[in-house]
Amino acid sequence: VTSKHKIRANRANAQASTGPKTARGRLHAARNALRHALSLPVYSDPVSSEEVEALAREIIGTDANPEMQELARRIAEAQIDLRRVRHARHQILSQPLSDPDYESEVMLRKKSTLILHCLRRLDPSAPMPDIVMEFLSSKPQGPYKFATILADKTRQLLALDRYERRALSRRKFAIRAFDAAGRRKLTSRMN
Amino acid sequence: VSKRADLHPKGTSKTRAKTSPLARVQPLALFGSPVLLAGEDDDAYHELLSRVRTAINPVDIIDEMFIADVVSLEWEVLRWRRLKSNLMRAHGFRALKSFLITNLDYDQYRKYFADELTKILQNNLTEDLTEDGAQTLAQKCAGNDSNAVDKVNQILDRINLDMDSILNSAKARKAGELTHDYAQRKPPAIKLINKFLARTGSSIDAVMAKALAEELDNIERIDRLITIAETRRNAMLREIDRRRAVLSEALRRQVQEVEGEFEVVEKTQAEAKSAA
Repeated sequence: VTSKHKIRANRANAQASTGPKTARGRLHAARNALRHALSLPVYSDPVSSEEVEALAREIIGTDANPEMQELARRIAEAQIDLRRVRHARHQILSQPLSDPDYESEVMLRKKSTLILHCLRRLDPSAPMPDIVMEFLSSKPQGPYKFATILADKTRQLLALDRYERRALSRRKFAIRAFDAAGRRKLTSRMN
Repeated sequence: VSKRADLHPKGTSKTRAKTSPLARVQPLALFGSPVLLAGEDDDAYHELLSRVRTAINPVDIIDEMFIADVVSLEWEVLRWRRLKSNLMRAHGFRALKSFLITNLDYDQYRKYFADELTKILQNNLTEDLTEDGAQTLAQKCAGNDSNAVDKVNQILDRINLDMDSILNSAKARKAGELTHDYAQRKPPAIKLINKFLARTGSSIDAVMAKALAEELDNIERIDRLITIAETRRNAMLREIDRRRAVLSEALRRQVQEVEGEFEVVEKTQAEAKSAA
């Protein structure tokens, strides 16, 4: 049995090591959920909850059975969630793609290093060599740009993929439950 | 589902929805707008949606949800495949250009060198060097005239440039031009590049394979995206199948019930006849 003293010490330690300490850390942590807001339930947003209700009505049709209504709402909730995730993923890709000056952070660092190197080694009044200027003014184009964006955004895309997988799974089981309930209803009507 | 290349990128599409007999179908607003990226063809997306919709023939809004997903995922598969092929192609040609830069003979880019040198000398004229004189000097230098080479080196030293960087730049220009011509399948470029490849005991496949190895991380990343989209698309199709099976079972039961009722009617008629 854990002694009272140990329990008290554990609780005190846990209190001391929970959450960010600095004001900057607290501010950062406070914004975590607001980055894409995908961890928040759809009902936390009035517009989304209205959409859930509208979609649920489309799914259920004229059926007034409360069980069916609840199941339809579950499908609609997952569907609207799915839409939010896909929209967020689309934004991650489309924003940098439509930015003509997009450059990856790795390449920006390389360019800064090269500029510093040239400033140290070359005569400051002399023009930069063409090959250096070409490299500095180069930007990823076409498939390279897309591939660079994918490489840069991999972590974010993977995080969103987890949300999408969960939403798809919730929707699949909600639809199965809805279909099963519909079948049960039909069978009972036939009997 | 058609996987024609013309279903996808804008500008290269030969067959557009305008020519398609299939009507343009808008997915329900509640499912969200199509997730198209800049440059992707909205008409081609809707053509794909029409085709899938016609093939699946939805019976309810849940089927519509699955159709919207199947189309969106199929679109993603096409998008990633296109990106993969474009990336491999672009990187292959980049590798070919590097190969040419290291293997080009001086004679191949001598003219480019003379041109660049002329431009540099004309931009840095001195009292004893006129525009025409700069051109002649550059030509002589490109022809390896030792006096001209010395004079050019002196001028280049004064303006903090060196001969090698100009040579490299000329070589890169020629290599780029040759690669471009090779990509357009121009016979002289193909012949010349094949000659270089044979001389170094290499082949275009070896150059491309080397390029592929350099892009492996990106290609693996794209392959992963293709696999995810394909797996999800197939899961949607399985769900449609499952629902169809459930629906057909329900229909079968209803038919059996109707048949049962019909038998009852017949018996009643027979009974009526025998009674008569």
